Amino acid sequence: MDFSWLSDPFYQEYLWEGFVNTLWLLAVSAVGGLILAVGVALARLRGPRPLAWLALAFTTVIRGTPLLVQLFFFYYGVGRLLEGVPGIRESAFWPLLRDPFFFGALTFILSVGAYSGEVIRGAMQSVPRGELEAGRAFGLSGVQVLTRLWLPRAIQLCLPTLTGEMILLLKSVPLVSTIALMDLLQAANIIRDETFLVYEPLLLIAGIYLATTIVLTLGLRLVELNFPGMRPTRRRWLPIR
Amino acid sequence: MTASFEPSPRPQAAAPAVAAHHLIKHFGDLEVLKGVSLEVEEGTVTSIIGSSGSGKSTLLRCMNLLERPDRGELAIADEAIRFTRNPQGDIVGLDRRQLQRLRAKVTMVFQQFNLWPHLSVLGNVIEAPMRVKGLSRRRATAIGEHYLERVGMADRRDAYPAFLSGGQQQRVAIARALAMEPRLLLFDEPTSALDPERVNEVLGVIRDLADEGRTMLLVTHEMHFAREVSDQLVYLDQGRIAASGSSQDVFDDPRCRRFVAPAA
Repeated sequence: MDFSWLSDPFYQEYLWEGFVNTLWLLAVSAVGGLILAVGVALARLRGPRPLAWLALAFTTVIRGTPLLVQLFFFYYGVGRLLEGVPGIRESAFWPLLRDPFFFGALTFILSVGAYSGEVIRGAMQSVPRGELEAGRAFGLSGVQVLTRLWLPRAIQLCLPTLTGEMILLLKSVPLVSTIALMDLLQAANIIRDETFLVYEPLLLIAGIYLATTIVLTLGLRLVELNFPGMRPTRRRWLPIR
Repeated sequence: MTASFEPSPRPQAAAPAVAAHHLIKHFGDLEVLKGVSLEVEEGTVTSIIGSSGSGKSTLLRCMNLLERPDRGELAIADEAIRFTRNPQGDIVGLDRRQLQRLRAKVTMVFQQFNLWPHLSVLGNVIEAPMRVKGLSRRRATAIGEHYLERVGMADRRDAYPAFLSGGQQQRVAIARALAMEPRLLLFDEPTSALDPERVNEVLGVIRDLADEGRTMLLVTHEMHFAREVSDQLVYLDQGRIAASGSSQDVFDDPRCRRFVAPAA
């Protein structure tokens, strides 16, 4: 095992940049994706019929095709198509539209929207009807029932599942190394190509992913445990007996 | 903090708190209410009794429009509900803003309590006063604490519903309904989901409210209790009022004697 390359400031910078990009992509995709997921769930449950069908079609297509294919589709397909639009190179959006980060985030947001949308829809359906009826009976508006009662309860119910979705998302991020975005895997690839060491960089980034996953799991577990109204029997740090 | 709040005096209106005229309600082909008229006078207690499936709960739920009647008239706190009707006279819609405003005046206690589990006891009680009546948190808290005190739950104000017994949850639900300072309180079988030993703590609270002169409409299977607290008793049978009047009249009525006899 040869880890001497770790002292090289260039490689340190690659790794750091890859780590930061990975976390950024995770954060942007998680936030954007979960907002989209709530919209998808609402469209399926309460939307007018065309919107409900659209949401179902969206979910089916996104969940029915490989993430890597979607990433290529947006970056090489839609991205190249946009290049041909007259005047777009002069527009203010151009730096964004040729940035692989933009297409990575877009792909992951759609993915989280589809997968977590179904999770949130299921959770919303399992909130006891009586609780929402009580809200209406006291004069709360539809929006108030949604934001004060329905969504908080649904998120409480599916938080452990959403944690799992976020961990899966973290480990989907290395796919972006295929569209020339400097993430952790891309950093490892560069180090491999220049030092001819295969295992050491991979071992290092595997360790970083593992550590990030553990931090993410514990952090979300903390949110779960501090969610108001949790039953005492479920207040365990590690979800094991 | 509790002392800073005095309940507002109830209006001395002679008009009924709620007046329903000839309500008809279908669920599919089943006609659940077949033309029921009912008035609850300000400051009185009315109980609806009857066997399961007689339409009691549906009638009660029409009073705050959790169920929308198919035909009939309804007035809450002197205000006629503005229904939208089709040319045949069937009710097809209503005015949402009016509905939200009137629901703030008619609050409900449910059989299954229906507390909001992610809000504390106090949070449950102040939610509607803050969001619907627009009270400040401070003011809503003062009112909420007053009514929690009233039902004997003030010391559990920061607890969450999952940590309370059924009787305690129902007392919190009563405080939640009172905190809106409604013209009319609806009770939908408030003790039916409770363990037998918890029933009395809830009935005790409701009896005190009756003694205070609050306007209440109850659906209950507790015959003794209904007879004891009610000014008006309504016996519902297969979607029609079979007998109504004072407790004594209804209990003596031969048509409902068979139903009430085991308890009487």
